[in-house]
Amino acid sequence: MKLPASLYTRRAFLNGLLGGWLAALGTAFISPLLKYIVPPTREPDQVTVPLADYKDLVPHTVKGFAWGNKPGFIKRTEAGEFVALVGVCTHLDCNVTFVPDKRRFYCACHEGWFDEDGLNIAGPPPAPLRRLAVAVEGETLIVKRQG
Amino acid sequence: MRALRAWLEDRFGLRPAMAFIAKKEVPCHKHAFLYYTGSSILLFLGIQIVTGVLLALYYRPTLAEANPSVVRIITEMPLGWLVRSVHSWSATFMILTVFVHMLGIAFTKSYRKPREATWLTGFLLLVASLAFGFTGYLLPWDELSLAATKVGTNIPKSLPLIGVWLTKVLRAGEDVTGDTLSRFFIVHVCVLPLALLAIVGIHVFLVQRHGMSVPLEAERDKRQVPALPFWPNFVFREAGVWLVLLGVLLTIAVFAAPGLGPQADLMAPAPEGVKPEWYFLFLFQTLKLFPARILGLNGELVAVLIMMVGMALLLLVPFIDNRPFERKGKVVTALAWAGLAYAVGMSIWSLL
Repeated sequence: MKLPASLYTRRAFLNGLLGGWLAALGTAFISPLLKYIVPPTREPDQVTVPLADYKDLVPHTVKGFAWGNKPGFIKRTEAGEFVALVGVCTHLDCNVTFVPDKRRFYCACHEGWFDEDGLNIAGPPPAPLRRLAVAVEGETLIVKRQG
Repeated sequence: MRALRAWLEDRFGLRPAMAFIAKKEVPCHKHAFLYYTGSSILLFLGIQIVTGVLLALYYRPTLAEANPSVVRIITEMPLGWLVRSVHSWSATFMILTVFVHMLGIAFTKSYRKPREATWLTGFLLLVASLAFGFTGYLLPWDELSLAATKVGTNIPKSLPLIGVWLTKVLRAGEDVTGDTLSRFFIVHVCVLPLALLAIVGIHVFLVQRHGMSVPLEAERDKRQVPALPFWPNFVFREAGVWLVLLGVLLTIAVFAAPGLGPQADLMAPAPEGVKPEWYFLFLFQTLKLFPARILGLNGELVAVLIMMVGMALLLLVPFIDNRPFERKGKVVTALAWAGLAYAVGMSIWSLL
């Protein structure tokens, strides 16, 4: 049925109303769904390791630790300060390894190289290795996110 | 027997479908071998479903058990090594046939009106097949598969706005963990099969609706192409092709069973010689060659954007080249050759 001055028939109007309502209902379910499929991030705020394990580190060597799910490296500068790096390549997220005789970090995925301070020096990595802040407190080392 | 047939006919009403199959014809010409690629893909798909179900009987998608359960399948289960080998090789064969199928259609211009929607659903099937390969590669949970998955899931990260979120969705969080494994498993064995089968249904329906495409010259000259009845002549030939493929597949699967690396360790450095499956090698090599920065932009972002433009062009081929016998068709042919040469060249380079 179409009234003389109307643009729609009653059926077209009802179809639009019902269809629009169903579409809105469907859309309303998407947002909680999208929320559910990304779990909350689990990167630690800080990690503590016993100082005893790291205090005998000589300069130009590194020792690993676990930064949450990622490998981390702790090293000591000539001045005796601790530095911590996240051992994940900044190119495409592969875990890097320390090559002692070259004093460099190496990523096997796409042949990326970082110097011992984590600076990207060769290959595709676009940025230095991520640095973490290290504080000595009594007999423990506290590694924290920087900034 | 006749009574049973009448009973079934009253309930299902399949006579029009039977009549269609009885009347269906397949043209014969020099490109006719391409008609066999579609059904060959279906053969490999069927093998994937059967062997996939068999593997899932013993596979366990958890951090601690994934790798040991694959070891158990290939060492303890009767013929388990063969089931895994056939699943792995059939995947390779299927992707290879998908590429031949697609290139054949690009060269013979069978995507033109009214078959645009067939091409679009075919594109979705290509994406689904590659997604099958990508998710399946992680499941054995060895060193190589972990590193390859880290790289693969990191690629979208450089995209603006949605990149970081997309990587989190793929990985179930910031990093590749046991949650990633669960996610890849359920996508591999449930989400993708449902999606793929639905799209295959539409794809095959559209092929029947429009009939087999004939060579352009025949279409232009309104020339009648000699044809073969689908049932039983063409199906008989297809069966021959299937038997040969099955024989080749089984032979290769028996003599070249895939290996299994040491169990993945989230903390261990990436192993030497990280490689994705062969059909991603050209993308892998491209990423390796791209410098960190190009004209002040993130090199990875540029690489990803180029890949996306390539995919978009592939998707839209039937709308770009929509009129017969114009130069655009030749451009598409040239681009298809160029793309093929690039992919093969880069893949070989990455293996050197």
